[in-house]
Parts: sequence; structure tokens; C-alpha cells
Amino acid sequence: MTETVTRQPLGAGSDEVALITTGAEAFSPPRRPTQDLALVRHRRHRRTVDRVMTVALASCAAVAAVPLLSLLWTTLSHGLSRIDPTFFSQSMRGVAGVGGGALHAIWGSVLITLTATALAAPIGLGAALWLVEYADRSRSLLTTGLARAVRTVVGVTAGLPSIVAGLFVYALIALVAGPGYRSGLAGAVALAVIMTPVVESACEEVLARVPGELREGALALGAPRWRCVTSVVLPTARPGVISGVLLGVSRVVGETAPLLLVAGFTDSMNLNLLDGRMASLPVYIYSQWQNKGVAAAAYDARAWSAALVLVVLVLALNLTARLSARWATRKER
Amino acid sequence: MENTQIPAVGQEPAAASAARPTPTGPTKTRPWGASAAIGLALALALTACASNERPADPTGSTSSDSLSGTINAGGSSAQTAAQEAWRAGFQSAHGDVTVNYDPIGSGQGREGFAAGAYSLAGSDDAFKTADIATTEFTLCAPGTGIVEVPAYISPIVVAYNLPGLSDLKLDATAVAGLFTGQIQTWDDPAIAALNPGLELPTSAVTPVHRSDKSGTTGNFTDYLSQAAPDAWTAGRTETWPQELGGEAAEKTQGVRQAVTLAAGAVGYLDASQATGLGVAVLMVNGQPVPPSAAGATRTVAASQLEPGRGSADLVFAINRTPTEAGAYPLIMVSYLVGCQQYADSAQGALAQAYLAWAVSDAGQAAAAANAGSAALAADPALATRVGEAVDSVR
Repeated sequence: MTETVTRQPLGAGSDEVALITTGAEAFSPPRRPTQDLALVRHRRHRRTVDRVMTVALASCAAVAAVPLLSLLWTTLSHGLSRIDPTFFSQSMRGVAGVGGGALHAIWGSVLITLTATALAAPIGLGAALWLVEYADRSRSLLTTGLARAVRTVVGVTAGLPSIVAGLFVYALIALVAGPGYRSGLAGAVALAVIMTPVVESACEEVLARVPGELREGALALGAPRWRCVTSVVLPTARPGVISGVLLGVSRVVGETAPLLLVAGFTDSMNLNLLDGRMASLPVYIYSQWQNKGVAAAAYDARAWSAALVLVVLVLALNLTARLSARWATRKER
Repeated sequence: MENTQIPAVGQEPAAASAARPTPTGPTKTRPWGASAAIGLALALALTACASNERPADPTGSTSSDSLSGTINAGGSSAQTAAQEAWRAGFQSAHGDVTVNYDPIGSGQGREGFAAGAYSLAGSDDAFKTADIATTEFTLCAPGTGIVEVPAYISPIVVAYNLPGLSDLKLDATAVAGLFTGQIQTWDDPAIAALNPGLELPTSAVTPVHRSDKSGTTGNFTDYLSQAAPDAWTAGRTETWPQELGGEAAEKTQGVRQAVTLAAGAVGYLDASQATGLGVAVLMVNGQPVPPSAAGATRTVAASQLEPGRGSADLVFAINRTPTEAGAYPLIMVSYLVGCQQYADSAQGALAQAYLAWAVSDAGQAAAAANAGSAALAADPALATRVGEAVDSVR
């Protein structure tokens, strides 16, 4: 709401703004023509600059929207052809060429992502809580030093290429379980490595915005620190935490490289995270595009449709994040 | 991070804390509830059973089929479409068996097989005899050898993008010239001499090669070094010689994409992947030979097995200058590699059944339909030898 109010003077209503701001002069007694001319010129100049900047900024906004719109349009126009019941009720087992579906990949993506969230969200939130609620209020040099180190490491991890996260987990698993071991859980761990810093930094930002007065009030009433965190800080920060976690989810749900390495690909349904390869939507798209048979159009169509499902999934997650935050805000008013 | 993502925090703090005097307040569950409801709706919309997969049969009515388990195989990306066909047929016949194939490249497939990551490898190049002697194959019973059988025979095509031009003829020397940069434009006299009456464009030649190490490149350069030794001096190599230049593209699909997008481009790729592109007819002994499965079979028939290998180690030294009419020399013979005897007998039974299906007439026909390869059955003597080799797997 406040946004629209502050935006108006910069936008279309700028002419009136010019009048209003110079209104006192407009009603004042006639002045010398040169002064008038200067004023007119000044107004005209302001108006020109204002228009040019408005157009420039609006076109920036339009340009920023173009890739997303183009992407949506491309995925929709190519992907709709295989959005049929078969696509959502069949795997690729026993299918060569035309037909088949992505049910196994959709399930794999859902299971792997949920597990990754279950791993990453508590760790990310916990780390953020420690940093904001404990380390930042500590006077111990050791603690503040450690906090600085953790922040640096988290920052570096957030910029880690996803393939490196995949290789890390691959190397870890190859050490423990031998080469060739692939499982949904390994994929979830790789995604959790990518997701944790995202969740951590989002949560940290949110927790830092909880007003200090709330904590002070709780502590003044005699609540212990943990009680203050669980009953005051976390509930206040909850919408932000939810959207932070969901943004982390949408960050990793489209990851291909780490899953290709550690979760592998299979044609068949596999709902067991601990045993055997598990397909996922990004890897499904990759393998359909990369490994076409003679009926290449069928492979392309499956890849596009899976891409469409993935895009819709990410958009839905983002919308849920925003809506859940908005609902919570509205309710609290 | 935009503000809108975290709008609630800090707004009306008094109300926020007042609204939740206890952690179990009814208002607290709503956003969680909303996300949970969406998640649940999503989960309910998807069934947990794929309709094309047979559910596990508790009655044991399938006891006649004793096979169950998982085969993990990997290697040649050229075999992918054939492997898909074999996998589809095999898994339909054996509902309790799952076969996975990682098309990660022949070299990695062989390494993975030796290290025990894959129980079968698909490879465009067989193991060298020296390597077989020194390598310890993790999954094989100690002291036993390996089985290598040709399972995927496919023509490689020289594909070009010249709008309006469909029946270009090239010989090995011209192909070498195109890819070494000796021939810069399409109306070069060397090409014009092979295509009398064809109006060649003046556009520049853009050769496209594989950027990754590839069995296709290996077979392509092997062909050039045997059929045009004067024009091609780089020999047989799986990695494209960088000094020759040209446009690099990753994997078969990358080459296909690059050739499709640029007029004047020419590349080499598996015949099954060249749909929609112009495909060069090769001049062999002065006769035009279009790429075909039958032509590939003739070249295999004109080639000898490499000497000095075991009876179940069937590796071809491909004759790139066959004299038979209609023999298309630019082919790839890709192998399936397994253990002679597996340390784990259950794995051995699975591998044996899968290999037997892949090289059977039905399996080869399925591969031919999905990948456009040449069936082994076209060469009965070879099919018999391959069948015997596969039967010896334990």
C-alpha cells in the first residue's frame, strides 16, 4: 500500500506535482517576463527529465520481465502437447520411443526435495538462531570470531556451484558405500548442502528484523532465553522463515547436476529413498533431451512437458511463499 | 531479497505478540496448514503406482520367472537408444528386474565396470588386450576373464546443412578436407568434381566436431586415417585434434544442434540422430554408397576379428576400405562388456539374461527400430559366435 502512495508523485501525476510545488509562485503577482521564462524553462526541463527517466525505468522493468515471459511462453507452447493423463500416471519402464510418462520423476523430485528440506531447514534455521540470538549478543571474543567464520563459510557455500555440491556428496558416498552407489537420500543430502546457506541467510535476515523490544520485554518478564526465542522471536519471524524455506526449496527443485551424479536416473518408480536410483524431473528432462531415439519428437515432447511441470511447480512454491507470508501478516493486524 | 518476502516481521509488534499468547493458539497453524494442504493435494493428485508398471505380485504366480534384482550398466552414449529398447523389452519380460543405463561415455563406462560401479559396460572401444591382463575387474570372480560382444552396429553419417541441397556426394579425401580446413568453401573444386551437375553454394564450410572424448570421433578418425591417409594425418583419436580447429559441440545432440542451426555447417554423428539433416553419400571405390544398416553389415562382414583374444572376446578390426559393393565403411561397432564369471552368481544370471536378450534376434530388431542400428542377425555366422560367447557368461 505504502509503495503505491510514494510512487505516484514520480509517475504520471508529475505535471500536477510541478504545479503544486510551484503553486505559491503561480498565484503570486506578475513577475518580470525573464523570470517567467526561466521558470517555464525550468518546469519544462523538469518535465522532460521526468518523462525520460520514467520511460527509461519502465523499459528496464519490461526488459526484466521479458526473459520470464518468454520462458513461460516457450515452455507452455512446447510443453502442453504431452500434458495428458498418461504423463502423470506412467513411468518410462518398458517404454522405448513414443509414450510413457514422468510419474516416477515427479515422485522422485517431490521425495528428494522434501527430504532435502527436512535436512536443510532445521540446520539453516538453527544456525541463523544461534548467530542472531546468541552469537551477536555475546561478548566473548571466541563466539564472535566463530560467528564471523560461520557467516563467511555460509556466504561462500551459497555461491558454491551446484555441481561441486554434487561432487562433494558423491565423493563422500563413494568413500562409504563404494562406487556406483546411487540413492534418493544421497540426492537429498546434495540438495541440502545447496539449500542450507539459502535458508540460513534468509532466516538470519528475518530474525534480525524482530524488534529488540520484544526480546527485552520477554526477558524482563523473567522468561529464560530459550523461552524468549521459542515463544516470541520464532512466532514473530515465522512468515519470513516459511518464505525463506520455500525459496530455498524452489532454489534446489530444479537442480540437475548434483542429482545426475548421486541420485542417478532410472525408468522405474522408486519410492524408497534409501535403496536404488531415483529419477527426478530435472534429470528426466536432461536425459530425454540428451538421449533421443529414432522417434526424436517424442523425447523432445516429454522433455518439454516435464519442463513445464517443473516451472509450474517452482512458480507454485514461490506463490505459496508469498501468499503464506501475506496471510500471516493480514491475520496479525 | 525483496521486502515483500518478509513483510510481517516488525509490523505492529505488540499485536503480533498479543495474538499468540500460547504456542498452540489457533491462528498459528494457518500458514503451515495452507502449505500442508497444498502439499497434500499435490500428493493426492499423483498416484504412487505407475499404471504401466506391474505391482509386486504377492501370490507368487510369476515363480516361473526366477530373475529379480537390478542391473546397473553404463558407458557409450551412442548405445543409449538401443539400450532403451533392450531395457524396455527386458523389463517387460521380467517384471522384477530393473535395468539402468548411464550414457556417460565409453571410457567412463569401462572404468566404472572395472571399478565395480557397473555390472555391464557399453563401449564403442573394446578393452585393449594389455589392459585386460593387468586390470582387476572388481565384480568378476578372481582369475576369470571378460566377455566383449558386438551388440550395436550403426552407420555414422556426415551430416550437412546446405538449404536446398539434398544429395551431396563426398569421398574420404573430401571429408578429411572439410574437417581439416583444406576445403574452405562448399564450391571447392574437390567437391564439385564429385558432384557433377549439382549447383554448389559459395558459402563457407563450418566443420563441427565433438568437444568430448567420443567413440564416434574415434570411428570417424579411424575411417579417415584408413581411407584417406594422405589427407588425414592425425590418425585414430577419440579426442578431436585441437589444432584442426572447427566448431566444438558437446555430445551427439550438441553436434546435431550446431549443424541444424548454422547454414554451411557439416558434422559427423550417429545415423539415428541425423533426421532432418542432409546426409552425405560416400564414394567408395568410385561407387556412391548411402549410409544404411545393410551397408554397415556388409562392412562388418568384410572385417576380421582382432587376433589374440579369447573365444568370448569378440572385437573387430574394422576394414574401412571394403571392396564389396554397397559396403558403407564409416560405421561404429559398439560392444557390451561383462564378466565371464561374476563373483555374485545372482548378478551373473541377470547379466547373462540381459546380454542374451540384447544380442537375440528380437533384441536386435528392437534396437534397430528404436536406434536405426544394423541387426547382428544379418550376419548369421557372427550372430552364432556372439550367442555362444554370451551363453558362456555365468
